[in-house]
Amino acid sequence: MEKRLIKKDALAGIAKKMAEKLLVWAPVKKEDNILFEPLQKNAEPNFAYLNSKNAPKNVFFPHTETMMKYTRTPKGMVFSAEENKANESVLFGVRPCDAHSFALLDKLFDQEKYKDTYYITKRQSTTVISLACVKPPYASCFCTSVDGEPVSSEGADILLTDIGSDYLAEFITPKGEKLAGYFGDTKADATAEAKKNDIAAKAKEAINSRIPAHEIKPILDKNFDNPFWNTIHGKCLACGTCTYLCPTCHCFDISDEVKGSDGIRIRSWDSCMFPMFTRETSGHNPRSSQKERWRQRTMHKFKYYVDMFNAIACVGCGRCVMSCPVNIDIRKIVEDISKL
Amino acid sequence: MQNPYIPYPVVVDKIITEVDTKDIKTFRFKFVNPDDEQKYAYIPGQFGELSIYGKGESPIGIASSPTQKGYVEFTVQKAGVVTSALHEMEEGTMMGLRGPLGNSWPLEFLEGKNIVIVGGGFAFTTLRSLINYMIFGDNRKRFGNITVIYGARNPGLLLYKDELIEWQKRSDLNINVTVDKGDATWKGREGFVPAVCKEVAPSKENAVAVICGPPVMIRFTLPVFFDLGFSKENIITSLEMRMKCGIGKCGRCNVGSKYVCKDGPVFSLAELDKLTPEY
Repeated sequence: MEKRLIKKDALAGIAKKMAEKLLVWAPVKKEDNILFEPLQKNAEPNFAYLNSKNAPKNVFFPHTETMMKYTRTPKGMVFSAEENKANESVLFGVRPCDAHSFALLDKLFDQEKYKDTYYITKRQSTTVISLACVKPPYASCFCTSVDGEPVSSEGADILLTDIGSDYLAEFITPKGEKLAGYFGDTKADATAEAKKNDIAAKAKEAINSRIPAHEIKPILDKNFDNPFWNTIHGKCLACGTCTYLCPTCHCFDISDEVKGSDGIRIRSWDSCMFPMFTRETSGHNPRSSQKERWRQRTMHKFKYYVDMFNAIACVGCGRCVMSCPVNIDIRKIVEDISKL
Repeated sequence: MQNPYIPYPVVVDKIITEVDTKDIKTFRFKFVNPDDEQKYAYIPGQFGELSIYGKGESPIGIASSPTQKGYVEFTVQKAGVVTSALHEMEEGTMMGLRGPLGNSWPLEFLEGKNIVIVGGGFAFTTLRSLINYMIFGDNRKRFGNITVIYGARNPGLLLYKDELIEWQKRSDLNINVTVDKGDATWKGREGFVPAVCKEVAPSKENAVAVICGPPVMIRFTLPVFFDLGFSKENIITSLEMRMKCGIGKCGRCNVGSKYVCKDGPVFSLAELDKLTPEY
């Protein structure tokens, strides 16, 4: 594997250099938040950030995207064009938990039988550069409990690790190697690698929020009707913030919009927290209260996804923990389930 | 890479009003590109997404049988935005069709067995597909006795009236049509579906029951079949849920770890027992 060293103050320059030719998504400051946005000319990426407010899943799975266009004819509305373009892109400096989420979303969107062409097109044309967490950004980070690590290349094409004087750049995949030219020509030696391994071990140790995420699957298998499910949702506002910020939540709606004689079919993020999500035309709703919706969210992440893809659909980023307006904490839910 | 969200263009070829209340119609679609018919090769029990640009999509069971060439039919009740728009359509209108989606009636499992078909009301559509498939030409030899028990609230609400008459003329079919309440012209059977099932009392020997209907019919019909000795492996049904993508991605139609759109809609009672009771 190709490994190089780059000077720490050179990182922003590399991103900007790439942005001259490619669409570069980088962490930028927007009001009080850090968000992944296309890097504009003269804009400064902020690589000293903790983590972005939103998960960067929107690069592959936008909040709203046009799927196709259609137009009115004397015989009714007819299809006119598929909308599925993607520019050669770089997602520069994502945290390893978020890169891990891409590997999880791939399992759903890139299955053998049904391929989600919108997601796959964007994913394939994007190189993911992860920026390792040498210190845990937040006290609520719990990646090590859900198959992640603060210094991990899972889901990434290039991994950058701050080793003190420099960044160690590791080119994980052929896709990552294609961009090696941007990273100078200082080869990394064994000392740099040893330093990185040391930092990785310490960073892993420093994640001290731990939950028994792997232990609850057999408990969830047997406790669909446990009265425990009555205890979570009482204060839930059904705002959907947890699902919108979650790197692995992928539920969506498909809807139509018409203006004059032309229209578009779009897909937008949806949320299992919303009553309308499953309500049928007849009025029947299989998940009729917030209790069922919370059970669904929990089960989907820690049981159903495991049944379907043998992986927990949570990366431990802690965004839902930090942003829930009523302080519902998925870590406590998992903890409580482990004691059922 | 084929985009599974883009519908095949179809034209509404024929519209048949099925019931007196006029809110259930059968729509016959023809593919605009003749090659698409082959791509839409389906099995009874599968469904399609009826796609009306500007309105949306609605998942509906396929009512025709793959043995009926040149078109595909869906019987649709007027209910929401998409189905109401569909009911306003005229023959000759263009729209879209996605699919075929979902699993199907388990034809291989059914082969060589005696088949008992139980349908209630509007849920008879994919059962009609199955019946027409089983009785088509040489297909009939692959199945044992076929018993059909089909009920509606009143004679005006029976679907496929002409076909019911044709089926009744066949000696290799045992057709039992019933209505909850008859009218002045009704000469047939009166009574609820569960009661008729009890009366007809199909044997459990080498038999599979395929049951579709409103929840209340299912609730009272299942005990009859249990009493007759049918095992849960030999009772098959089909679920309905709110759907969007139809391909197991958008996240709303799961029952436990199974997506009704992709892993269903057809399940045996034994399979349903293993799922969470959330449908």
